[in-house]
Amino acid sequence: MSAENDQQAREQLLDLAAQFYDQFELGEIPHMSVPTRTKSNIEYDEQKDVWVYGDRESTRSANSVRGARKLLKAVYTIEFLANQLEQDRSSTLRELYYLSESWDNTEAQFNDQDESNGLIEDLEIVSGVTREDFHMRPEESGATIMGPLHLREQTRRGEREIHCQEDVGEGGYQIPNNPDTIEFLDTDADFILAVETGGMRDRLVENGFDEEYNALIVHLKGQPARATRRITKRLHDELDLPVTVFADGDPWSYRIYGSVAYGSIKSAHLSEYLATPEAQYIGIQPADIVEYDLPTDPLSDSDINALESELEDPRFQTDYWEEQIELQLEIGKKSEQQSLAARGLDFVTETYLPERLSEMNVI
Amino acid sequence: MTSFQSTLGEESGIAEELAESQQAISIAEFFEKNKHMLGFDSGARGLVTAVKEAVDNALDAAEEAGILPDIYVEIQESGDYYKLIVEDNGPGLTKESLPKVFGKLLYGSRFHAREQSRGQQGIGISAAVLYSQLTSGKPAKITSRTQGSSEAEYFELIVDTDENEPEISVEETTSWDRPHGTRIELEMEGNMRARQQLHDYIKHTAVVNPHARLELKEPNAHFKFERGTDQLPEETEEIRPHPHGVELGTVIKMLSATDSQTISGFLQEEFTRVGKKTADSVIDAFRDRHYGREMRWSSPDDTEDVDVGAAVSEATANKGADATAAFADAIADAVADRERIAHHELIDLVAEAADAVEDEHGTAFGETVQENAGGAVWSALIDAPEETADPDESAVEESRLVTDCYELADAATSTRKDDAVIHGFASRLAAKFEDEDDERHRLTRSQLREHVDRAADLTEEYDEVSFGDTARENVTEAVWDVMVTVPDDPPLVRELSGDRDATSDLVDAMRATDIMAPPTRCLSPITDDLIEAGLEKEFDADFYAAATRDAEVHSGDPFVVEAGIAYGGEIPAEGSADVLRFANRVPLVYQRGACATTDVVKSIGWRNYGLDQPGGSGLPNGPAVIMVHVASTNVPFTSESKDAVANVPAIEDEIELAIREAARELKSFLNKRRSMEKRRKKQNVLGKILPEMAEKVAEVTDREEPEIDDAIARIMNNVLVERHCEANGDGQAVSVVVENHSSTNESLEVTDIVSAEPRNLSDGATAVEMDGEWFVKWEPEVSSEDEAVLEYEVDNDAAFDLDVKGVESAKLTVTDQ
Repeated sequence: MSAENDQQAREQLLDLAAQFYDQFELGEIPHMSVPTRTKSNIEYDEQKDVWVYGDRESTRSANSVRGARKLLKAVYTIEFLANQLEQDRSSTLRELYYLSESWDNTEAQFNDQDESNGLIEDLEIVSGVTREDFHMRPEESGATIMGPLHLREQTRRGEREIHCQEDVGEGGYQIPNNPDTIEFLDTDADFILAVETGGMRDRLVENGFDEEYNALIVHLKGQPARATRRITKRLHDELDLPVTVFADGDPWSYRIYGSVAYGSIKSAHLSEYLATPEAQYIGIQPADIVEYDLPTDPLSDSDINALESELEDPRFQTDYWEEQIELQLEIGKKSEQQSLAARGLDFVTETYLPERLSEMNVI
Repeated sequence: MTSFQSTLGEESGIAEELAESQQAISIAEFFEKNKHMLGFDSGARGLVTAVKEAVDNALDAAEEAGILPDIYVEIQESGDYYKLIVEDNGPGLTKESLPKVFGKLLYGSRFHAREQSRGQQGIGISAAVLYSQLTSGKPAKITSRTQGSSEAEYFELIVDTDENEPEISVEETTSWDRPHGTRIELEMEGNMRARQQLHDYIKHTAVVNPHARLELKEPNAHFKFERGTDQLPEETEEIRPHPHGVELGTVIKMLSATDSQTISGFLQEEFTRVGKKTADSVIDAFRDRHYGREMRWSSPDDTEDVDVGAAVSEATANKGADATAAFADAIADAVADRERIAHHELIDLVAEAADAVEDEHGTAFGETVQENAGGAVWSALIDAPEETADPDESAVEESRLVTDCYELADAATSTRKDDAVIHGFASRLAAKFEDEDDERHRLTRSQLREHVDRAADLTEEYDEVSFGDTARENVTEAVWDVMVTVPDDPPLVRELSGDRDATSDLVDAMRATDIMAPPTRCLSPITDDLIEAGLEKEFDADFYAAATRDAEVHSGDPFVVEAGIAYGGEIPAEGSADVLRFANRVPLVYQRGACATTDVVKSIGWRNYGLDQPGGSGLPNGPAVIMVHVASTNVPFTSESKDAVANVPAIEDEIELAIREAARELKSFLNKRRSMEKRRKKQNVLGKILPEMAEKVAEVTDREEPEIDDAIARIMNNVLVERHCEANGDGQAVSVVVENHSSTNESLEVTDIVSAEPRNLSDGATAVEMDGEWFVKWEPEVSSEDEAVLEYEVDNDAAFDLDVKGVESAKLTVTDQ
């Protein structure tokens, strides 16, 4: 990340403040418009092959007490971010929330972290600068990569060249908050295997799956952080590696796949930058539950609601997903990745994954 | 109890013995024993009642004389007793009438008058005198001075309870500082436990009598209630009774006293709201009740085997063929022209035909001929069985009356009834008509109903179906509608006066006739303006509303209901709202729970009007005073002590409507106040946030602080008034801009006070000089999202002061540089 980039981000933010200034001067009610961030306002961008926000906008206007407070907070946050960029510092979203406590104006302080997170998203959208370029990072990322990949990372303490198999321990290479500071040098990998749970990732590493199949094992750690999605996207785009997602067989895991492949609703403005539409879903598929006779849990009410809402989610409206979701609703069961252990610890690496991957023409 | 029955046989003359102990009791004696009936049941209450009676009297006296009342009430402790002094500035009383007014019960000018006044029976003040002499044994001391007399009369008197006459012990002339008026001094047993009621009474009297000045001095307190207006209540006029409100006994008495000969004259002379037309309606109603109506049977149509002409020809003899034929044709045509015909209508019609034929043919058809012809036609119409007819035959052929009855009954009853049942009923009803002795088929409504009932009973019995009350009533109504009022002359007044039943019919007829409500000049409502003035005078509130309803009638007495509401301000917010009750301008202090007014207030859903009402019924809570005034020539009270208005539905309805009318105003006031409060709150918060935001934006962008008044005005939907000054040659050009960001049109009143003479004023503005300052007045009307500009020029060193009216302050932003 260059200082030039920082300067640009800073100017974008100050432009926003200037916009409020001009609105005041013109006797207008200060306001800013952002796309409505709900499921009903995302649409498929055929050109870019990702889901982006539709035309509906919400206006944050000083017309109401609530709106005025929001804008006041926005101005304070803009000031904070501008200063941060100027001083080349960074902070976490949570730090921003606590930091607001130190502001002289109590009206400008955040009530909870959702509010500050939401405001940062607003500012990203309105200014067209990503959070990372504001030097804002999530509290924890901790997602890792293990596999035959050689890269160079720009750190605060200088450049580091790292091989993600040879230079790292069992834990793998930790993805930095801003993966755009990484340069890929070389890779022997054939494909990317994004894994939802830590237990399964460890199983694959222990069984040497990455070495055997030349796989880059990316640990998603549940719903993947932006950095994880961004690096996956870059690996796919720059190294031309196919992306596969291996998750639990339940509605929440389908959403994890969804955010890798299509982008999330909250960050649909960044879909182009984060989503990998070519990503494929390995499993656990509802069909696998039947085929491999896996140990199961019954679907809870919230599972059923989630599945039904996925049926309405524009991102899941494909023949494949409709078939799988309806099958799952029919059998009323779900299985975890690790339920494959019921067939032996090596079943997943020796049978399940090779079978599924060859079915999907990845190997 | 001793039984006299057992001794009846043994001793004679017991009745005489008993009779010896029976004697007349004077009215004064009666009340001596029944003090509670007049509100003197306890020492505490007695004192309040005495004040009340004396003050009511004083107010009435002054108002009648057209004097603005000025009343002084004093209560002194006097040993074991209390001394009550009430002074007024009324016209004073003459030497002759004074003792009677104070010393004789049931003496007064009010009892017989249909006119609104405070006192009615002439009991009040003399009862207070009676109460004082009973408890303290001291006479009442009365001073009175009539206008223009040099000296005042002074009396000491008591009521002689045996005779109900005043007994004067001292009578002398004295000097008095008031030019005219009356002063009464009573000493009585009592206590001040009812102090609160006493204060309430005086205060409430002040509320409903804003034209009166009242002063109360008692051992612990001294209040003065000054006038709120110099306008005396409108003088009332006595009215004659209204036909809807008189009883049989009264009418009998009036009949014997009247000078009128005819009923019509009697009605028009003795009653209010009765003219020729109304009298005629009453008389028609009387005829229906007294004589009954005649049934109109349908005229025969072509299909029927009824030959009117033939019947006439047959009944007419020796009149020549041509004339007879013409007579017969004329009658037949006239009958055929009508849809239905009654007996008297037929007789009239025969007479007309006779006249017409006589004109044409020169043959006279005398009364006998007419009678014969009419009789014959009527018989044909009602199908009277001929003497000679074979009974079997008439049984086979159905009377044409049945068809008529069937049509009426069928239309009047529900379609679910079997056709055969209706037919059976119709023939039975027709038979009742045929059996009628009076061939004219004349029936009163109740006789008709009897016939219908009988026919229905028989139908129920034989056809085994039910013929319910509603069906019977409907049939009766249908037949009654077809029947026609008879033209008989009503009896003369002298004939009527001896006839109780006929008089009763007349009273019924009067009640049944629609008659305009009685005139209201006999009433003197306070009027909504003065109610508000009265409330404003005595309650320091934020809001006042009042409503005066139009006059209505209950049992012949007109009445007007008025309501007023005061809200907020200094009225205590805790507990339930105060209900002030008034009847004929007199506050009602006792028996709140028994009063129709309280019942109505409790029954209203006050939450609808923005007041708190626990449980959604009962008295509302909050800083409110609700007052209700019932004015009538005869306010129905629950008892003689006149503490509570009786639950008369007509009055309750009006009370409710009056309160709701005032409450609607309260509601819009409260709504407005709430929305203004919300707006103020919003303005307060935004007024803090936006300048902070502007400051921060300026800091971040490194610029001067932006101008934010316009934005705030727009956000608050406010009206913004701004002054801009610009150097212009020697002086400066001033423009005052009004921007209306509200959603409604706004009319403003802008006054700019300038210390130098303004020049070149823009259109519509005027400048007036006053003590070296120029008042620039401008009254623009600015529609929503529009602006208006006032422009003028003035010297450079001029100072300004901008004042804006016409817009609520919460909505107004004035920027005066």
